[in-house]
Amino acid sequence: MTLPPFALRRPVTLDEALRELTEDSVPYCGGTELLLAMRAGLHRPDALVDLKRIPELSGVRVEDGVLVIGATERHADLATHPVIQERLPVFARMERHIGNARVRSQGSIGGNLCFAEPKSDVATVLMALGASVTLAGPEGRRTASVEEFVVGPYYAEKEPDELLVDVRIPLRDGLRGAYVKFQTMERPTVGVAVLADDAAGWYRLGVGAVGEVPLAWSFGSLGEIDPDEVAAWIDPTPDLSGSEEYKRHVTAVYVRRALAKLEQVSA
Amino acid sequence: MTEPSGPPRVPVTVDINGVSVSRQVEPRSLLVDFLREDLGLTGTKVSCELQVCGVCTVLVDGRPVSSCTFLTADADGAAVTTVEGLSDGQTLHPLQESFVDNFALQCGFCTPGFLMMSKALLDGDEVPDRAAIVEHLEGNICRCTGYEPIVEAVEHVAEQLRGGTHG
Repeated sequence: MTLPPFALRRPVTLDEALRELTEDSVPYCGGTELLLAMRAGLHRPDALVDLKRIPELSGVRVEDGVLVIGATERHADLATHPVIQERLPVFARMERHIGNARVRSQGSIGGNLCFAEPKSDVATVLMALGASVTLAGPEGRRTASVEEFVVGPYYAEKEPDELLVDVRIPLRDGLRGAYVKFQTMERPTVGVAVLADDAAGWYRLGVGAVGEVPLAWSFGSLGEIDPDEVAAWIDPTPDLSGSEEYKRHVTAVYVRRALAKLEQVSA
Repeated sequence: MTEPSGPPRVPVTVDINGVSVSRQVEPRSLLVDFLREDLGLTGTKVSCELQVCGVCTVLVDGRPVSSCTFLTADADGAAVTTVEGLSDGQTLHPLQESFVDNFALQCGFCTPGFLMMSKALLDGDEVPDRAAIVEHLEGNICRCTGYEPIVEAVEHVAEQLRGGTHG
């Protein structure tokens, strides 16, 4: 089916891109979410502002103990990136299993977060990791935690004239992590991330895909994580992948599995 | 098809199966429509238009993409390989040969997508094992074969590669 007509803008600097953005002139990168929404008639922008030619939005680097990932980096590249594989293997493994191989070679991390698909694997793992995003706008730059940014289903806290520049993940020496998900259709029913920094006594659990937004909690020890209690904390959305009761059950099962998998992961 | 007052067209030069093609396209032109309608390369199929079924898979600079959700403008300067580019017209590609030998197709509608996905995998750095093949083909739908013959067909070509270039 043909897409509605639009103009294509191709800025090569961040400032140029920011000047192009309006309510009807929207950021475009991989198109894996935006083009589908446009085809479904949910969105009809006058122009797409292609971000793929802006060097400031790409690249992966470590800066003062923080892993910085440019917004336009694609999932397939993040999955195999040597720095990510070495410093944050749990994130590389999650990226390797997003959607399917075509989605991974087109879709970007920034687009994934901005679209705020409630069944995204990315936001769940990033919330558990305590990650943040950098946004640029006409007033300058600001930082928001992923929890402050992804606030609702298909709703990220971003003004139309703002751009997501990068994702920042604080690195921890000796971090162990596991992400497991249950999936029978195109998107997961539940995804559970568990992270452990034993030396610092820092433990995090993230649960996503079951409700409107992923949720993450901190613990003082792994023993404090009670899968049945976690299943009561979530707010599942009943849909084709299951009822509320079923999703609570599957969540408890996958929290247990995530903890069991973590035991096999060495620092 | 030509709208006189539409948004400005975009010039693209794309290498399609080794042939350089230059056109002016509408920004909204999708790669699958460009291939099928403008160039008559109808080997690439269209079905779900949601990046779920995989029948429209083509390679852009070696990466598998859903051509139903890929702007032609984004293929500017790239090399696109479609199912028509697999064979030279005389000899089948080893994957095509293996699909035939292993009865990996019935109605054949999904076959171009499976072939292109498989080519992307086999062109990678590592020769895949069965688990990697199954995982990679997860995003493609076949309603005839039950998948087993398709996985076997790809496995056979992987084995040939292992024997030939790694043994």
